Amino acid sequence: MTDTSTAPGQGFLSIRGLTKRYAGFTAVDNLDLEVPKGELVAFLGPSGCGKTTSLRMIAGLVPATSGRIVVGGQDLTEVATHRRDMGLVFQSYALFPHMSVAKNVAFGLEMRKVPKDEIAKRVKEAIALVHLTGKEEHRPAQLSGGQQQRVALARALVIRPSILLFDEPLSNLDAKLRDEMRNEIRDIQRRLGITAIFVTHDQSEALTMCDKVVVMNQGRLEQLGTPVDLYERPKTAFVASFVGRTNRLKAVATDGFADFGGQRFAAPGDLSGPVEVMVRPHRIALAPTGGEGVAGTIMRATFAGDILQYDIDVAGQTVSVELATRGGETVLAPGTTVALSWRPQDVFVYGAAA
Amino acid sequence: MDERPVSPALKLLAFLMFAFLLAPLIVVVPISFSGDSYMMFPPSSWSVKWYPAIFLDGKMTAAFWTSLLLACAVTVLCLVIALPAAFALVRLRPRGAEALSSLFTAPLLLPTIVLGLAILIVFARYGLLATFPGLVAAHLVVTLPYALRVLATALSTLPIAVEEAASTLGASPFTVFRRITLPMMKSGLIGTTALCFLVSFDEVVLSLFMTGPRIQTLPVAMYHHVEQQADPLVAALSVLLVVLTLLVVLVVDRTSGLAKTFVK
Repeated sequence: MTDTSTAPGQGFLSIRGLTKRYAGFTAVDNLDLEVPKGELVAFLGPSGCGKTTSLRMIAGLVPATSGRIVVGGQDLTEVATHRRDMGLVFQSYALFPHMSVAKNVAFGLEMRKVPKDEIAKRVKEAIALVHLTGKEEHRPAQLSGGQQQRVALARALVIRPSILLFDEPLSNLDAKLRDEMRNEIRDIQRRLGITAIFVTHDQSEALTMCDKVVVMNQGRLEQLGTPVDLYERPKTAFVASFVGRTNRLKAVATDGFADFGGQRFAAPGDLSGPVEVMVRPHRIALAPTGGEGVAGTIMRATFAGDILQYDIDVAGQTVSVELATRGGETVLAPGTTVALSWRPQDVFVYGAAA
Repeated sequence: MDERPVSPALKLLAFLMFAFLLAPLIVVVPISFSGDSYMMFPPSSWSVKWYPAIFLDGKMTAAFWTSLLLACAVTVLCLVIALPAAFALVRLRPRGAEALSSLFTAPLLLPTIVLGLAILIVFARYGLLATFPGLVAAHLVVTLPYALRVLATALSTLPIAVEEAASTLGASPFTVFRRITLPMMKSGLIGTTALCFLVSFDEVVLSLFMTGPRIQTLPVAMYHHVEQQADPLVAALSVLLVVLTLLVVLVVDRTSGLAKTFVK
């Protein structure tokens, strides 16, 4: 199933100014995106952020209000879904209930008028690829959810689509199966070198599986970057709080310093006035009072095995701190005063939301 | 269906309801085996002579073939008209789709006698009375609403993602309909066929207005037969019709499940 006939640069997905407006609201607002061949890109965001609408516009299931969708140099914006040559894996699997597994997988090849013996060969390969050999004659209803999603994956892969689209494909599976499928999808996508878009609301799925992540909010692209970029260098307050967990603190910034409750600490950037300061709970270090850092009082201590979690009151705001346990540490009692510190690169400062 | 314990009172109530519905049938069956020359319960003697008598009665057999042909024609036309109509209403959702589907089911709410009279007045002007096309048209008025309802329900419960999946795999809209939508509507189609056939085959009131000496449907022929002579021939015929109806229901149940077809 490896496809080496495609020249480099082909299958390159280019989205320019893609917009979808419905009466009264804008679902997708001026989305620009370049996806190199062979990359797996996640569309990540809360429900209603426009990620699924964007995917459906790429597949041609929803007409775009404006903007272009170009694949391998060919403008597909006005091309009907069935001529776009894309594979789509749905959250609900969307298998054909009246056809066997083999017939489901063969459907796309039949539509392409592939010769019968080649269909048989490719269907067999695709079914083997998703580890369902032996289930060829089963009906979808006789399979588990995970197996059904494998059939859907094989059905989308077998046509060797220019782009493979996933619409929350793991949301209906239980946690254990989800991890398994996650790795499997990633392996297959890498092995075949196929360009893919993966829509999800689950940040851990996006971070662990994908080469790049597009974070979307209210129809707009918030940030495009590698998982490390998003986590370590979030460009907006939304990205910082949506990707990973973080403390959000209100402060006032002046000349590279932030001030809350009369305490100052270095805050990168040239913002001034009210700001929002974010620090991830496990990037904060605690020291006895008197040391470097911001003073706070422990309100609650929770021992959770691998981590020790504190809620600390800092000038009226609650800061959550997580320390990895190594064994032998003492759990600080509520009421203890401590100094909180962090490295400059671990603090993000954003203009306060109105 | 969930298995839940049923109280004895509910069982009794269900039994009484069924008894009420089926009692007339229970009376008809013994009368059909009567040896008397008029309907009487209980019969004074027994025979099976009324069953062969049906097939020797030229009027009855002619009426039976008329009704069979009529029901088949009406059923086919119903499917041909209602399927695209249901598709348009459910999938294309034109402006005012709700109002349109209420309008299309309105004939079910009108008393059939009113419909019959209206059709009589209109059809008389165009010479359609007591003609086969006239009967087909009249029956369509009462069968189409059923067909549209059942097919629209069948269509609206189909997950649209399955059709979208087919179209991403390269199937044109027509291919999607033929290879995916239609097979998935199988139970709805079987239900519609059975319903249209039975409604048309059993229809009396409209047919009474529409038939004449030239053409008669089976229910109308039976009606006139009872008016003229009260022999047990009609009872024997009724038993045959009940058997026929049961057969249809049985076929539907075996092929797609009765509850799945009608209750959904």
